[in-house]
Amino acid sequence: MTIHPKPLIACRECDLLLREIPLLPGGTACCRCCGAALYRNSPDSLDRTLALVLAATVLFIIANVYPIMGIEIQGTRNATNLYGAVHALWDQEMRSISFLVFMTTILLPAIELSMMIYILLPIRLRLLPVGIPLILRILQSIKPWGMVEVFMLGVLVSLVKLTDSSSIIPGVALWSFGGLTLMLAAVASSFNPRDVWEHLEIGIGEEVFK
Amino acid sequence: MTDSPQLPDIQEVPDAVVERRRHRSSQLIWIIPIIAAIIGISLAVKSYMERGPVITITFKSGEGLESGKTKIKYKDVQIGEVKSIAIAKDRSHVVVTAELSKEAEGLLVEDTKFWVVRARISGGGISGLSTLMGGSYIGVDAGTSSEQKDKFNGLERPPVVTMDAPGRQFVLHTKDIGSLDIASPLYYRRMQVGEVVAYELDKDGNGVTLKIFVRAPYDQLVKANTMFWHASGIDITFDSNGVKVNTESMASILLGGISFQSPEDRVDAPPAGANSTFTLFSNKEEAMKRPDTVVETYLLVFTESVRGLPIGAPVDLRGVTVGEVSKINVELDTHRKKFSMPVEIQFYPERLRARYLKKAPQGKAIGSRELLSALVEHGFRAQLRSGNLLTGQLYVALDFFPKALPAKIDWSKSLPEFPTIAGSMEQFQTTLMQIVQKFEKMPLEELAVDARQTIQNLDITLKSADKLLKNVDAAIVPEARSMLVDVRKSLEDLRKTLDEARKTMGEAKQTLSSEAPLQLDLRDTLREMGRAAQSLRLLGDYLERNPEALIRGKKEDER
Amino acid sequence: MRRTGVSAGGLGLCSCQACGLVSRPEDSIGSARCPRCDARIHIRKPDSVRRCWALLIAAYILYLPANLLTIMETGSLISYRKDTIMSGVVHLWKSGSWAIAAIVFIASIMVPLFKLIALTILLVSVQRRSTWWPTQRAKLYRMVELVGRWSMLDIYVVTILAALVQIRSLATVKAGGGAIAFGTVVVLTMFAAQEFDPRLIWDPLRKESDV
Repeated sequence: MTIHPKPLIACRECDLLLREIPLLPGGTACCRCCGAALYRNSPDSLDRTLALVLAATVLFIIANVYPIMGIEIQGTRNATNLYGAVHALWDQEMRSISFLVFMTTILLPAIELSMMIYILLPIRLRLLPVGIPLILRILQSIKPWGMVEVFMLGVLVSLVKLTDSSSIIPGVALWSFGGLTLMLAAVASSFNPRDVWEHLEIGIGEEVFK
Repeated sequence: MTDSPQLPDIQEVPDAVVERRRHRSSQLIWIIPIIAAIIGISLAVKSYMERGPVITITFKSGEGLESGKTKIKYKDVQIGEVKSIAIAKDRSHVVVTAELSKEAEGLLVEDTKFWVVRARISGGGISGLSTLMGGSYIGVDAGTSSEQKDKFNGLERPPVVTMDAPGRQFVLHTKDIGSLDIASPLYYRRMQVGEVVAYELDKDGNGVTLKIFVRAPYDQLVKANTMFWHASGIDITFDSNGVKVNTESMASILLGGISFQSPEDRVDAPPAGANSTFTLFSNKEEAMKRPDTVVETYLLVFTESVRGLPIGAPVDLRGVTVGEVSKINVELDTHRKKFSMPVEIQFYPERLRARYLKKAPQGKAIGSRELLSALVEHGFRAQLRSGNLLTGQLYVALDFFPKALPAKIDWSKSLPEFPTIAGSMEQFQTTLMQIVQKFEKMPLEELAVDARQTIQNLDITLKSADKLLKNVDAAIVPEARSMLVDVRKSLEDLRKTLDEARKTMGEAKQTLSSEAPLQLDLRDTLREMGRAAQSLRLLGDYLERNPEALIRGKKEDER
Repeated sequence: MRRTGVSAGGLGLCSCQACGLVSRPEDSIGSARCPRCDARIHIRKPDSVRRCWALLIAAYILYLPANLLTIMETGSLISYRKDTIMSGVVHLWKSGSWAIAAIVFIASIMVPLFKLIALTILLVSVQRRSTWWPTQRAKLYRMVELVGRWSMLDIYVVTILAALVQIRSLATVKAGGGAIAFGTVVVLTMFAAQEFDPRLIWDPLRKESDV
């Protein structure tokens, strides 16, 4: 049985070989060379993340079901929700853009949230879901492509653009998207995959020990 | 190169970031999802509660309708939206699924009507122009039934009258529809008071039944004896009464229309009930003609030309139409080898009502026979007269002709013959003949001779008068002229004297008081003037007494 | 002092991108897998520079139509205008919404340009194995990754406007061909940034120290 004094870690950005050190709760370990963050110690990260993910999911559903906003010109009203906007673009023969918007604002965030729930909820319930590695890999590759906060800014810009030509009726989804943006940012900052890996190892260890 | 020896060297102390986050109670974080869940659930519940009914409407075509966009409006307020449009299985129509708001639930009853509001030109005008800007929408007319319904058949055109418009419907029968259509206007005294709602060919094909709607309060004007007539287009009639142009309005020229009026003498009759049936006449005259219940047919035999007498020409009694010509024939009297024109007329004795009743002292209407016979005895005849010199139309006139030959109506015949008298043209001819005859009787030649003689005498007289005048001219005029010269001379002297007098006056003004001889002179002058005036006066007197002196001159002794 | 040190790659070790485990791959070619998470591991991203160049060049090519073609067509009763990204910004500025004009300008013109230039700098410097300011270059790379997604802003604005402003002849908005090109540019640059292996920045330094 080799006693590993301290596990090795290589910096993501500069590939410097380093040793891990124990951290106080809330601390972050950084690379000596380039200063990139290596890992964090966030207590209750899994619980916290789960709570935030659940809230984000509810907000996500609301944001997609209800209309984002409506405009009124000369008595004619028109309102749309997110899927309606995607659909409108599809109908206008802008298929690729429609697909892109759909992926980045509906599909990928939905996959992200559902995968997080898939992982975190069983863990909370002291179960071990299957396929954690794969899912964590997918999560990591999806991460840069969920652009809900950019969409939020886009909504605000359109709002300002439209106020001088027509009257705006903000929809429920507008507020929901705002909340969703905050939630997703909180999720991103609180989610610590290391804890998941630890749970996995513990679980595997437990299995081994059974 | 190998990892082991280098490992101990690589003891590094990574930078730890300052602790920021406090270890908060992990349970508090759950508030966030709980709040989110509460918000989500309350929204879901609210929208479920507010969800309105879903209905289907069938239309013949989906023109102007877009799923997810077309709105449904009642009285211009949006109450719903079209969710999807699908073609029916048998491909005969289009099924529109629409979602309405909760408040609209009460509108969905049996006789609620839906139609697509588009820009449209119809009998009543152009409507729905706003849809060109904002897109078509579906209009709703709420029904009054109490039966709920969620599958509707949409109308292809908007209903002419909405359910809640107050008024009454009536039914009209007519031979042909003319230029009428749905939404053709209905007029009363040239005001539009209603529309044609629907029309349909009668089952036996002999006419058209129209349904009209008269708005309140004008529906009170429709009584049981109201007459309706076509007011379409322009009516121009050219008859013995002249030319008449009649039209209701520009709209009715283009679209056709119906007018109605109640007969003047029964204004206080009760209004007609809803859906009462009326006949639609072709024009106002026909409608306002009182139905004549008593019709008598007579035969008038004319020997002159009846060219220009149309069928339907009026039988006129001093301006009142009491009948009309119904048939014109020609007959050859083989016996006398003459043509005669028997003309049948319809005579309405009721139109003589006022006089009719007067001649009935008992209060009972005398039979027209006695009346007519009495009139004929007094010279009542029928005559053809020219009604319109322009068109040469004739009409039948009834009048008294004192000089008429005596005649009688033979009541025994089935078609009694009414005596006639030659028409005015013929009378004119006879009068002319009479004048000509008179003219012929005159002794024109003798008159001519006398005239010639008188002229000769006149000539002589004129000649002598002429001579006289010449004498006068020769004799008197020089005398008069010399006299006039004398007068003029005196006047000139007078003037001279006056001038001097004026001069003298002028001098005298300066030296008036002093010079006695001046005064004497003055006096002399005045005396002279007096004498001159006196002689003038004498002359004037003489002339007054003997004015002929001007011509003849003074007698030798008196000069 | 800080720059020295052994890189994992230098020792033949491989850190897994997914789980962070440092392990020694059996063979350095192709199909090594992480023992913990079974992800494919590479010492360095394969063909990183080449792939990155390819994507970057494609992005450069499409950058021209993205800015020259119309991104949005706005029709109203009185006017019909076709806007490119730049003309849209100018229009916003002229009509008084300075803040929005600035935001759109930064997001749709500056950020893509920045990404293109930054990636070019990084690729060139990596290809030439230069040791020029590695920390700054690393920071540059971090910026590129952070900032990349925000250039999607204009696309989202066009989407929302095109979906909402559909009132027949009164007002219509349609997305134009420029939107497709621009969207593609954003996607390409994001892929390019993903393909780029930042460790390559530091490799020349390590090698020096190794030697």
